Amino acid sequence: MKSLWKRWWPYLAAVGPGLLAASAGNDAGGIATYASAGAQYGYSLLWVMILITIAVAIVQEMSARLGAVTGKGFADLVRENFPIRATALIMFTLFVANLGIIVSEFVGIAAAAELFGVSRYVAVPLAAVCIWLLITRGSYARVERILLLLSAVFIAYVASAFLVKPDPDALFQGFVPHVRNDSDYIMLIVALVGTTISPYMQLYVQSSVVEKGVSMSEYSYTRVDVMIGTALAGIVAGCIIIATGATLHPQGIAIETAADAARALAPLAGTNATWLFGIGLLGASLLAAGILPLATTYMLSESLGFERGVSRSWAEAPVFMGVFTVLLAVGAIVALIPGLPLIDVLVGVYVLNGLLLPIELVVIALLVSNQELMGNYRNHGAYQWLVWTIVGVVSLLSLLYIGYQIWGAVAG
Amino acid sequence: MIFVSQLMGIPVIARNGDEIGVLHDIVVYINEHHYPPVGGFVVRDRRRRIFIPAQQLGALSYQAIEIDTTRISLDMFVRRDGEVLLNKDVIDHQIIDINGRRIVRVNDVQMSVFDGVYRVVGVDVSPQALVRRILPRRYGQHFVGRQVISWADAQYLASAAPVQLKVSYTRLQEMSAVDLARIVDALSFRESAEIVAALDDETAAETLEEVSDERSADLLETMDQERAADILEEMTPSAAADLLEDLDDTLAAQLLARMEPEEAEDVKELLAYDGDSVGRLMMTDVVTAFPDDTVAMVIAGLKARSELPDQLTELFVVERPDEQHDEPGFTLMGLVRVDQLLLADPDLPMSELVTDVPTVHPDEPALQAARLLGEYNLTAVPVIDDAGWLVGAISVDDALAVLLPDIWQRRGARNFG
Repeated sequence: MKSLWKRWWPYLAAVGPGLLAASAGNDAGGIATYASAGAQYGYSLLWVMILITIAVAIVQEMSARLGAVTGKGFADLVRENFPIRATALIMFTLFVANLGIIVSEFVGIAAAAELFGVSRYVAVPLAAVCIWLLITRGSYARVERILLLLSAVFIAYVASAFLVKPDPDALFQGFVPHVRNDSDYIMLIVALVGTTISPYMQLYVQSSVVEKGVSMSEYSYTRVDVMIGTALAGIVAGCIIIATGATLHPQGIAIETAADAARALAPLAGTNATWLFGIGLLGASLLAAGILPLATTYMLSESLGFERGVSRSWAEAPVFMGVFTVLLAVGAIVALIPGLPLIDVLVGVYVLNGLLLPIELVVIALLVSNQELMGNYRNHGAYQWLVWTIVGVVSLLSLLYIGYQIWGAVAG
Repeated sequence: MIFVSQLMGIPVIARNGDEIGVLHDIVVYINEHHYPPVGGFVVRDRRRRIFIPAQQLGALSYQAIEIDTTRISLDMFVRRDGEVLLNKDVIDHQIIDINGRRIVRVNDVQMSVFDGVYRVVGVDVSPQALVRRILPRRYGQHFVGRQVISWADAQYLASAAPVQLKVSYTRLQEMSAVDLARIVDALSFRESAEIVAALDDETAAETLEEVSDERSADLLETMDQERAADILEEMTPSAAADLLEDLDDTLAAQLLARMEPEEAEDVKELLAYDGDSVGRLMMTDVVTAFPDDTVAMVIAGLKARSELPDQLTELFVVERPDEQHDEPGFTLMGLVRVDQLLLADPDLPMSELVTDVPTVHPDEPALQAARLLGEYNLTAVPVIDDAGWLVGAISVDDALAVLLPDIWQRRGARNFG
């Protein structure tokens, strides 16, 4: 009996890092972006989502491969293969960017709570404490299982897309690639890239692969997990676009926040859609609010060399627990500041991520093509060209985005 | 005491005052001494990397390196066996702190003159070293930390260097199996394989017994089969059984075939039992005595043995087998604790000392045995099979493993700094 269980366990156990990280990608900022895309342009950006999803899958697979072959996390590899000042710069910007996203997650939790009529001043601290307890008291395996359960909530978005009954012809048109000479269109594409290929996701996938002790012999399970995870996340993102594209776009309603999107669905699709949307938002934000501080703390502990691991007790890893707690606390507190220009904060956070993304992608691409590091598992010939093309396109888009932001701030 | 990181990039000047290039890295012969000597300097001039042997060193300071010769070989630097680059292969990599029983990251390396030659003497693991390296030299040089590990007390990991490197691992054997196991679990797979390969069979067996199930299975799978079998033989049969169960069935069968038949038999017997049962955890090597044996006879018998079981706290009194019938086992009468033997009258027979003791069946869950041990304040519980023979015993140590699975699992966790 034991050997049967052992045969199945690798598949079950491997379904983890990719799925989790990809699900966390559909967080408050992501949802806001997807909803904006749908509201402003209907289904016309769906083709972009397909390309982005493919790109994310490739990048995440590289991260997972790095983890499986070297057995080390991203920060470890950066520390060991790049000069210390470069390492410091990368870690610093990752830390700041992640902190910004943590804040945005708690904003998402606040927004979702208010959809259900719960004050943010109750919901946000409660969420922060629950997340902290879950992660510090439970063992890592238990944490992952619970988070996986939470991530199942994103099915709610898929339900939303069906509930709104989109028009099949218009839908098909959306999947045909077409570029508009429209600065907002370009900017939204860039925003979609920025929120979907979040740097922290790659870090988390790699860390998880290392934590699980996946070796190259078990790697095929992991690759499947990454593919499934990104595909699912892509489908969910697509469903959000469809849901808002069918309801808000024809009415010409623009949205500012995820809550707007949920509220806007109410008179058009009934209270069910709002409720589902709210649950999905809450689930995704909680998931990301749990993963992000964890991923960031892992990253710092790897590069700076302090004790790491959620499975250790408080006494055994004080610095780790301390940093993790501070990240959660700061995120929650900032999100509660009354009168905070939340949209500007969210936008600023993704600008920083946009800045960071090309750097991180270049680092990953360099590491994965390093013969000494990866041996036979490094990127070969054509694949490497593809990767550098992705890096180039994403970098260009990110720079475009920043350019527009700065131009918008200067001109506006 | 020179900090190696502060030397990187400083000008390298020939005797005639010409600048040859800047210091790119320092080569050390890692195996030559417990304070490895510097073999030479790698100098960078635009894209070229050339090598200057240590003998040609004139003067060294944080400002410049002066070379004592005008004749320099312009051959491209090529790494050779036993050569390790300090900046590339040591700084920013992890090493094992033997005294601290932990893994640390090298933030800087200390060099000093010793026996007429510059040598690596220590490793700086303080956070100040990081600050020193990040800041520009003018400000950074003021940051000096206090956490320096002597190189003699550190174990370098050969996998940190991109070439095949032979490193001496004698210091590792000083560490206890539990500490080694923790480190093996915390390192990446490649690094842990390197360490286990360096241990002798006995130490490797002790270590693997404490290493997490997943990691030890992975290690065994990639090991040479003969070695794997040797290690399994050195383990306690129940640990070996647990480990074999985690392996692929074909591999497990192959390894069992390579083991000594006796040892393999012991393990196979245990494998017949469920992982959580008494039968799996029990020790089969128990000390027995007959009721008419005297204390003196028993003690003499124990002393005559070449090896005693670990943590011997009791022996079991069994009925003298009927000489006419060939009985395959012993019938238990009871238990005598070893401490009782030490104080008793040497002529006292076992029958006078023996006490009754509850028993368990091999198929019972180990938890049941653990409960008995706790309730009756016993040091061991004998295991009796269906036929009524004494087949083994479960000790207090085994009970702990059963009662505290969480801690055992945590110890196996890969997270460790």
